[in-house]
Amino acid sequence: MNVELSDLTRRFGRRTAVDGVCLQAGPGVFGLLGPNGAGKTTLLRTMATVIQPTSGTVRLLGRDPGQHGQRREIRRRLGYLPQALGYYPGFTVAEFVEYFALLKEMPAGAVPAAVATAIERVGLADRARSKLRTLSGGMLRRAGIAQAIVNEPELLLLDEPTAGLDPEQRVEFRALLREVGQRSTVIVSTHLVEDVGAACSQVALMNAGRLVFQGTTAELTSRGEGHGIGDAPLERGYSAVLATARA
Amino acid sequence: MNAYLPGPDRPGDAAWAADVDLERVWIGVAARVWRRDTGPVERLLGRLLRSPGLARALLATPSLLVPWLIASAAVFAAGAAATVGTGTPWVGLLAPAIAGAGIGYAYGPGVDPAYELSMSMAVSDRMVLLARVLAIFAIDTALGLGASAFSATAAGVAFGWLIPMTAVSGLALAVAVVTRSANVGVAAGTGLWAIAVLGGQAAAGHPAAAVSDRWLYLPYLAVAACCAALVLIRTAQPRRSA
Repeated sequence: MNVELSDLTRRFGRRTAVDGVCLQAGPGVFGLLGPNGAGKTTLLRTMATVIQPTSGTVRLLGRDPGQHGQRREIRRRLGYLPQALGYYPGFTVAEFVEYFALLKEMPAGAVPAAVATAIERVGLADRARSKLRTLSGGMLRRAGIAQAIVNEPELLLLDEPTAGLDPEQRVEFRALLREVGQRSTVIVSTHLVEDVGAACSQVALMNAGRLVFQGTTAELTSRGEGHGIGDAPLERGYSAVLATARA
Repeated sequence: MNAYLPGPDRPGDAAWAADVDLERVWIGVAARVWRRDTGPVERLLGRLLRSPGLARALLATPSLLVPWLIASAAVFAAGAAATVGTGTPWVGLLAPAIAGAGIGYAYGPGVDPAYELSMSMAVSDRMVLLARVLAIFAIDTALGLGASAFSATAAGVAFGWLIPMTAVSGLALAVAVVTRSANVGVAAGTGLWAIAVLGGQAAAGHPAAAVSDRWLYLPYLAVAACCAALVLIRTAQPRRSA
């Protein structure tokens, strides 16, 4: 298992953002669904080793992120796209991706080809030498995805990756997810149920910091049969599980 | 010329064409075309720090960018001119404030655009912070010493500002790290220094007392040591996992 979370809790002052989450994930694309404020971003930031859990245990790629040496090894094999992507406006797309490839301690000789491959995979080849400040929101998102995949990560964490992408780009992005998911663990946090239905084999649903469902997309769909609200079967399953959790 | 002709004009070309991985060729070309030329400074830093990533992070420091360095040099030059003209050691009085501001704006949320991403990188944010702080301190020290030499300040005052500069820089950094706000850190550092200078003026009758009175060195060093310890504690990642 590439991700093993046990009784993971994260508090910010009095507020509990993530409450006793247990989760295991191997290779494949894993969708993390939930309404705004459910704790998805906090859970992803914990898995990205940006913040530490208040309690509980975390093992990523068979290593303990609480140990300095092991955390460094995890980070070399990690790809992370935060919800709010910060960027240097004066960097070009290629410079931005290269910067994070170097910070991930990729061998310097392998960086140029890895940067070119990542930029090509997200469809930004024609803007590779454009300054980031000149890009649209969707292009910036794709630049962010490029830096996340530049090191061919074994664990890829994406927080709202399709925000700002047009429908055609979203379809291409889902294909990229499926491709990466063949050999790596990809965890996608989103509130767009259709992205999960199209790209994810496994799905978890969070509400108020807790994991209220974990299973396949087919299992989530079946929860909505006969009840639940929504236009698509998966949306009905999502709303039915949420309604049960809130009851 | 024949070697560059595509298509079946050469013997065995059909098989040759089938073997060419055009995507791989394109990636190779793109890697060459998009490759950034690293300057001599970055190459030297990469060797010294034994990390190209750390060298790149150092050169991306907001308060080490060329406009900031020019502004710092200009303030030191103005301080040197004012010292020569008035006899008041303006270089020594300005140096701690300049270094405190530079270090406060070195790294952190709101200052470094990619701070969140940097927190998940193999080159640790603590190393980036340390490298940036040391670089800014070294550059401001060099600028300050140059300005002191130019203004021919008395030896005690010429070097006396190094200790308060350490304290002000430490305080600005510690407050910025604890509050996660560069602005608050810079305000705390420069505010403390303003109080020290005004206090020296009130107690000794001249503002240079804040850099020349030796009895202040111990409190300055104590502040610097406490702030360094606080930064180390706050930037350490606790062992909470399995």
